[in-house]
Amino acid sequence: MSTVEISCVVTAGADPQALRRSVESVVAQTMRATEAVVVLGLTVTAAPATGRTTGRTTGRAVGSDDDPESAADDVRAVADELAALDPARVRIVTSGAETPTTAVLRNHGLDQARGRYVIVLGEGERLQRDACRNLWEAAERSGTELAAGRWTRRAGRRAKEQPPARLVESELYARSRTVEALSEAPELVVADALVTGFCVRTALLEREGLRYAEDLERGEILFGAQLAATAGRIALVPNLIVSGRAADDPAGTLEGQLAAHVRVAQLPLLQGDTALREARDRAFLADQLVPLARQFPRLDADERARAAALVAALPAARTDPDLRLDLPPLERVCLQLLADGDAEGALAAGYALGRPGAVTSALSERDGRVYWGTALPDDPRARAALDVTELGHQYQPLADTPLLNHLTHCGQEGDRLVLEGRLPTPLQLRSSEVPLTATLEFLVRGTDGRLVFRTPVDEVWRDSDALRWRAAVDIGALLRVGGARDRVCDPHFALHTPDGTTTGPLFLERDRVEAAGHFRARPRRGRLFGDSWKPYVTVKHHLALQLHARRRPGRLAAAAVHYLTHFRPARKAKRLVKGVRRRFDRIFARSVKTRVYNRLLIRLPVRKGSVVFESHMGKCYGDSPRAIHEELRAQGRRGVRCTWSYATSADGFPTDVTLVRRLSWRYLWALARAQYWVDNQGFPLDLKKPAATTYLQTWHGSAYKRMGFAESRIKAQNASERDKLSAALARFDHFLVRSEHDVATLARDYRQPAESLVACGYPRNDRLVRARAADESQGRFPRPAVASDLGIPDHRKVVLYAPTFRGMPKKGRTTQLPLDVRQFAERFGDEYVLLVRAHYLESAALPVCPPGTVIDVSGHHDVSELLCLADALITDYSSIMFDYALLDRPMVFFTPDLDAYVAERGSYFDLRAEAPGPVVETEGELLRVMDELKQSDATHRADRARFAEKFGGYESGQAARTALDVLFAGRPRR
Amino acid sequence: MTATTLATVPRELILLANATDVLGGVTAWTHQMARLFAAHGHRVQVVGIHEAELKLTLPEPPAYPVTALYPSHPPTPWRPRSPLAYFDLRARRREAARVADKRRAVARLSEIFRAAGPGALVIVTQVWPMEWVLEADTAGVRLIGMSHESYEYSKRCHRFRWIKNSYPQVDRWLTLTQEDADAWIAEGFDNVGALPNALGALPELPSPRTEKTVASIGRLDDQKGIDLLLESWSLMAAERPDWRLRIYGAGQDAAALKKQCTALGLDGSVEWMGRTDDVAGALAASSVFVQSSRGEGFPLALMEAMASAVPCAAFDCAPGVREIITDGEDGLLAPPGDTAALADRLLRLTGNPRLRDTLGDRARVNVQRYSEAEILRRWHDLFALLDR
Repeated sequence: MSTVEISCVVTAGADPQALRRSVESVVAQTMRATEAVVVLGLTVTAAPATGRTTGRTTGRAVGSDDDPESAADDVRAVADELAALDPARVRIVTSGAETPTTAVLRNHGLDQARGRYVIVLGEGERLQRDACRNLWEAAERSGTELAAGRWTRRAGRRAKEQPPARLVESELYARSRTVEALSEAPELVVADALVTGFCVRTALLEREGLRYAEDLERGEILFGAQLAATAGRIALVPNLIVSGRAADDPAGTLEGQLAAHVRVAQLPLLQGDTALREARDRAFLADQLVPLARQFPRLDADERARAAALVAALPAARTDPDLRLDLPPLERVCLQLLADGDAEGALAAGYALGRPGAVTSALSERDGRVYWGTALPDDPRARAALDVTELGHQYQPLADTPLLNHLTHCGQEGDRLVLEGRLPTPLQLRSSEVPLTATLEFLVRGTDGRLVFRTPVDEVWRDSDALRWRAAVDIGALLRVGGARDRVCDPHFALHTPDGTTTGPLFLERDRVEAAGHFRARPRRGRLFGDSWKPYVTVKHHLALQLHARRRPGRLAAAAVHYLTHFRPARKAKRLVKGVRRRFDRIFARSVKTRVYNRLLIRLPVRKGSVVFESHMGKCYGDSPRAIHEELRAQGRRGVRCTWSYATSADGFPTDVTLVRRLSWRYLWALARAQYWVDNQGFPLDLKKPAATTYLQTWHGSAYKRMGFAESRIKAQNASERDKLSAALARFDHFLVRSEHDVATLARDYRQPAESLVACGYPRNDRLVRARAADESQGRFPRPAVASDLGIPDHRKVVLYAPTFRGMPKKGRTTQLPLDVRQFAERFGDEYVLLVRAHYLESAALPVCPPGTVIDVSGHHDVSELLCLADALITDYSSIMFDYALLDRPMVFFTPDLDAYVAERGSYFDLRAEAPGPVVETEGELLRVMDELKQSDATHRADRARFAEKFGGYESGQAARTALDVLFAGRPRR
Repeated sequence: MTATTLATVPRELILLANATDVLGGVTAWTHQMARLFAAHGHRVQVVGIHEAELKLTLPEPPAYPVTALYPSHPPTPWRPRSPLAYFDLRARRREAARVADKRRAVARLSEIFRAAGPGALVIVTQVWPMEWVLEADTAGVRLIGMSHESYEYSKRCHRFRWIKNSYPQVDRWLTLTQEDADAWIAEGFDNVGALPNALGALPELPSPRTEKTVASIGRLDDQKGIDLLLESWSLMAAERPDWRLRIYGAGQDAAALKKQCTALGLDGSVEWMGRTDDVAGALAASSVFVQSSRGEGFPLALMEAMASAVPCAAFDCAPGVREIITDGEDGLLAPPGDTAALADRLLRLTGNPRLRDTLGDRARVNVQRYSEAEILRRWHDLFALLDR
């Protein structure tokens, strides 16, 4: 190896094993022209000035009589050992500085580096095997002086290492690219991406005189920002470069973080770029200070006060209230309280961060808004930061509101556990003077709430804006658990008010639990199972009690049990059981089921008169299959056995039929033996239809966007994928159509032969045809029963908002509705009730609105019922428009992305030309149109009649009967 | 080119492919690169797992040794289908013979590696030969793997698993485009890079673009999407009655496609030209090139059309296509499967001679970034990276 391409600077910290990990990762690089520059401080060797160290420095032979255990502790020894292993690639340099901080050592390493590039590794960080090759190649190919890639950091015990969330979301490292200007990748500075995982030309460092700031504890933050500012062009690679970076610890590293943050903001780069500076400030607030508040319940009082004081001492520009405006309300509150230096307030708000809906502080109302806390600042900007109106606490019933039960004292008086606590007075109880009572409930863990011990709370009293209570409990007498599996109790505080009971666990700071000692315990199975209760604080910061054995017999018994469950044969048996279970579970794999169905079950003889129904892949009991089922029931045919399939929950399905879960063995059995299949979307595509079965496909809506083989997505699929779809579509024996439009679109593009088409309309729409007739003869009142179920008063009109399906949201996310529901409710809350129905495959997250203005009906089984109820419809491209047109009621088309949607999905007709109502593209227009709905309605009446005729010409109100007749007549001749 | 020759030391190169002489893109690529490497002073040999039945005709006999480990396609490993099959002695005997043959093939491969000496580079052009390479003695040689298809295409077939299993063991492996490489990196590979295919020779004269002809060149099978092309053509043919669509190529779907053509009433404007060996001639006689594939790797036909200065319209079906054509700059792209959009691109190209000229001329210049000299330089860069 003649030249060194990359020098990796590794500074020795306190942990020799961390040093070993880092250096070994450098030695293992696939790129051999790499060296590790291990920088040691003088004090590392000087500090343990005992014979041990001197023995080693004079020579290995002399040091060999040392204790090997203690030798491994020594950083210098580890460094020497590594250097001896590969002298060509590991070089030890020693800094003579008096205070060898990390920054000093790193700068010394940078001075000593021989490579054309340098990489700086933090404590315990490991380079991936190919990291140097990937960075080197990226830098050389693009001709940049700086190349960077992904890095991950540790995340607590047993948790997988992760990169910071902001870097993942920003997709900074999603693809290989060369950034020409910082504006293309602001996250490099905004999210501190360059703290590690980069390599930089030594020439750049020398030219710009770049070194780590020696007065900063976390100099790498400033160094990274300076690099980004000076490098000009930067090559980014999606490869993982560094792993094992220390976990994020907002409280522990707060001082260093704050100092570095302030210094970065003073860089000329950020001074000259307001947007970048604000973005960085915002990211700092969200990524450092909000997690700090979240950590507060774990800290003790001194640490909290110190942290809050540090944040409060920040320059005002760094925590400007305007920076936090787009944050969720609770995070905004946390930041405001931290900026004010209010440690106890931040503790309460930080506790609420992880518990949606919890009220952990007193609230106050002013000018119709709800604020966190009672002492409101006069400055409107600071007050706006405390505005939590959108959390909707003012609308929440007390019984559903978790409160912060803060224990102010947890102590011992003889055998009694003394608890004193405080909880914020909820808004609902603020004015009333009703008597309050409370109970302490000890929930035994692992019994799902079946085993609870209750005791009344001695005293509950009001104290300014808080409720306070005190209880002394004889734990030993109260908690009569068995003692085998029920060894932990979680005390909960239940507050009884005239409006209901609110229950919650007891929050206790970690440093206060020591005051309570042990309590005598009397398990029902005897003292061998434990003799004392020990209070402790759970990971969620709540008080819990655990059964312990302190005396000899109990301890011996516990040790014996532990041995029996953990000695080698027991461990082996556990593994065996696990393996067997895994094998057993494999029977339930989808592929196995499909194979067994298609090869074996399908040969079973059909059962005469059996019908399997499914609606929207089992999501609901509704749509046309339901209408057919109800017609079947009304006709009272004999010898018919109905089976319904459900996807996840059988709630809302009829009880007098057989219910089978979709894709279960019973489902496959039912399908294989059914004489008739009735469905509106498609039984699983890979299941064949038995030879003697008739399949009625009702379908679930006329088409606006292109479907089936007219879709580009399907056209671009390969032959085998298209053949699979063809085979699945060829299973249909009857296909219902509503008009000639369906024949020319759906039936054609799903390749349905003419003889399988049934021109009768949709059974689900029979109800609409009848409702239309009823409207004309007797008016719209009384409303159907579903109105009172949903709590809709007669004086308000009902508007249904039903947008179309936009693709499944990512796991754990919910869809954002295109319409701002809250604004609609504010404007029309007195006049309309807005029913929101997301597509049957989605679930939408609705913001909290005043009760009775917006109702989520996504989970409602039958859309036709809702359509009959609605006085007007807002939709976009959903097929619901074709159905609603039958009712001849006002329709508004809210299509903010019409052109983009049509360009992407393709459409069968021009919505703007055909729509039987106003087509609006902005929210403002929509509100205006809704305002004058009544006046403008007359102009659209003729359009609606034409639209209903064109797209629903075959609807007669007799579809269910016709469909049943066709079904029982059997299969068409082909 | 002499500069690149001198810039690097001569090396021992072993190109390892599925077959030495099968008719197909990867074999053509293998011999193209072997010839190129040999011409630049490297000592090259091509090793195939087996000899093929359907032979590729090479323009000239190779000037480097070509070896096949098996005379024909080796049998696939035996897997008993039912419990009874375990007692099938004939199958067991066949399997034993297969294992022995494989051992011999592996020994021979090891011998080839040893003979090449330390520092030799083995370029495994497809993932299947890794089955033999992983068992062979690779001490001293460096392994470079390759995948000649897009990530998406691999993902949909068995080769995805093969790549996942065997390419972590190579020193470096290559996809056709950086976008594919990024997808593999996201899959957990850190030793993957990208290297595109090379364009053969640049035709002396660009197409005059005077004929009112749209050309399509490719096998007549489902992957090439000629059915989609006919559909697109039917949407625009009426507006361009004086234009002709010439479809070059043969394949199993020929009859069905001709039937579809008749059904769409396009017989007047579509000409079926059959298979051609004179691609440059076909391109010289046309003014627009269209590619309607459902899947591609790094399509040579597209590069050849651009080299002839014929403007292209294509479905954006793979990263390779996006890499070759910059939409609106040196060609036009349509979303995959969107026949209306492809028809729209064709309308734009056929209706605007000035657009054809700008796109065509720019294409001829831009496509030269895949010239043999340039690709060879990138290979030498890669060899240098592996040396460090």
